[in-house]
Amino acid sequence: MGKVMTTADAIQKFVVSGDFLFIGGYICRPPFAAIHEIIRQKKRDLTITRSNAADDFDMLIGAGCVKRFIATFISLGLYGLARCYRRSIEKGIPHKIEVEEYTNLSLPLMLMAGALGMPFVPVKDMVGTDLMNIKSFMGENKYKMIESPFDGSPVMLVPALRPDVAIIHVQQADEDGNAQMWGIGGDCKWGANAAKKVIVSCERIVSRETVGKDPSRTIVPSFKVVAVTEEPFGAHPGYTPGFYDVDLSYGYLYKEASNTVEGFQAFLDEWVFGPKDRNEYIQHYIQKFGYAQYKGLQAKFDYGYPVSYAY
Amino acid sequence: MSNHPDDYIKAELMACCGAREIKDGDIVIVGTGFPAMSANIARYTHAPGAMLMQESGVFDARPTRPALSVGDPCLNPGAAMTGGLVDVIGMFLQGGWVDVGFLAGSQIDKYGNINTTVIGKYENPKSRLPGSGGANPIGSLAKRGLIIALHNIRTLTEKVDFITTPGYLEGPGARERWGLPPDTGPQVIITNKAVMRFDKQTKEAYLESYHPGTTVAEVVKLTPWKLKVSDDVFETEPPREEEIRVMREVIDPHRMIQIYEKRGYV
Repeated sequence: MGKVMTTADAIQKFVVSGDFLFIGGYICRPPFAAIHEIIRQKKRDLTITRSNAADDFDMLIGAGCVKRFIATFISLGLYGLARCYRRSIEKGIPHKIEVEEYTNLSLPLMLMAGALGMPFVPVKDMVGTDLMNIKSFMGENKYKMIESPFDGSPVMLVPALRPDVAIIHVQQADEDGNAQMWGIGGDCKWGANAAKKVIVSCERIVSRETVGKDPSRTIVPSFKVVAVTEEPFGAHPGYTPGFYDVDLSYGYLYKEASNTVEGFQAFLDEWVFGPKDRNEYIQHYIQKFGYAQYKGLQAKFDYGYPVSYAY
Repeated sequence: MSNHPDDYIKAELMACCGAREIKDGDIVIVGTGFPAMSANIARYTHAPGAMLMQESGVFDARPTRPALSVGDPCLNPGAAMTGGLVDVIGMFLQGGWVDVGFLAGSQIDKYGNINTTVIGKYENPKSRLPGSGGANPIGSLAKRGLIIALHNIRTLTEKVDFITTPGYLEGPGARERWGLPPDTGPQVIITNKAVMRFDKQTKEAYLESYHPGTTVAEVVKLTPWKLKVSDDVFETEPPREEEIRVMREVIDPHRMIQIYEKRGYV
C-alpha cells in the first residue's frame, strides 16, 4: 500500500489521542501543516517533545491538545514569551500541562539514545542546578546520579526516549519515505529515528533516482516511514532552506492574537479551522496579505557545485 | 592610541566589552544580539581567528544580515557546516572544544548562577519563563562564560528563584564537587553600568570597571549583594573608533542593536 497521502489522512491513521509525539523543527522546518491538522482533528492528551519549542508547540498547548511536554525551552523568539504556554502554567487555561524539563544537550542525547536502542545516556550538564530538584511525570526516572564505574566521578544518566510517532518537515522525499533534509538540523534526525513510526511532510516528492543523486542528505530511511505528505510552504511561518524565509510579520500577528484567549481562538478559527487544508491556508494568506508578500518570502535559487558520487 | 567617538550607545559599549573578552583563536558559541555582535567585533578587530558556532548546528556562518535567532535562515548559506544539536552542543561543547559562551537571564546572583525558568515558586509561578534551552549546557561546559545583564536590583539578586544555569553554584569548589569540567565557569557580568569579574578565590563577582556616566557609588547602590570593589577599579574604556566602524559599517549597518535601548540597556 502506498505511503503517499494527504496530511489529514496521515494524522487520522497514525496519530491517536494519548500518543507521544516528536515534532521536528528549529524555526527551521516546523511541520505546521501537520500541526494544524492535529488541532483540526482535536487530538487530545498528547505528550510532545523537541528541543527549543516555539509557536507551533504554543499553538498545540493553547488548542488543548497537550497533556505533557518534555521540554528544554519554549518562546516566540523575537516576540518574547510563549503566551498560551504561560496561560496554561500560570492560570490553567485551557488546562495546566505537565512539564518535564531538560536542556538542549540532555534532550537531544535522550532521543539519540532512543534511536540507537540504548537504555540511557550519560550527560555532563544539569548537575548542581534546580533542574535536578524538579521532577514531574517521569518522577525518579527523570535522571539518576551514579558514580562512574570507571573512575568513581559523579555522572548523571538520563533515560532514552522512544516517541510513538515523529512528525517532520523536510525539503524532499521519495514515495517510499526516504527523507532528505539540508541546513540547520536541530534534533530532527535523532528525534525522527528514535520514534516507532515517522510521518514525513515535504516540500516536494521526488523520484527514487533523484534521492540517489545525493544520498548523504537522507536523514530517515523509508522503512521507518509510514506516511509521506507533499505540503509546499508546509513549514510557514517557519522556513525551509532553499524554499522560503521566516515570516516575521505573521509571527507578530500570532503574538498579538495569542495575547488573549479570545484573540487566540479567533486566530485558530481564521487560520486553522477555517481552511480545510494547506492549499486553502495558502489561498487565504494570499487573499489577506497579497501575492507580493507571499512571493517575497520565496527563496532565490543559489545552487552550489553539483555533487558527484561516481567511481 | 585609538580615538573614542562619543556618540555611542550603551549597548554598543557592552558589545565592545564582550568583544574584548574574546581571544584570537577562541571557539565561541553565540546566540543573537549582543553575543553575535561581540564575537563579530572581535573577529573584525583583534581576534580574526575566532570561530563562531550556533547551538542549532551551525559552524562558521557567513550571514549577510544580522541573525534574529540561532536558527535564522541567514545562517545556512555560506556556513562551513550545518549539523544539529548533537553536533554542536554534543560533540563540540560537551566534547570540550568551546572556549567562550554567552549567557543572559532574568535573574543573576553574585556567583553567576542564572534563572531563565520561573519568577516566584516553580509550582505556582508569578511568571513562567522559557527554560534552559542551551543555557545550562553552555554555562556548565564552556571554558569561559560571559554574562550579559541589566543592572538593577531585580535582575541582579542575592539569590535567584531558580538555578537554571550554573555559575559557581554555592561558591568555591561546588562545580568540581558536581563533576563539572575543571577550569570552566563564568568570567564576567557585563551590564549597562559596569563590568563585574569573578574573583578566582571567592568566586564572587566584584566591580572591575564602571561605565562612563556612572560612578562606583551608583553601581554599588544598584547591586543587591555587598559588592566588593577592585583596588584598581577604573572607568570602562569606551568603544574605539575601529570598533564603532566595524559595528556600523560591517556587522550591523541598520543598527538593530538600538532595540536594546527599548529593553532598558541605557
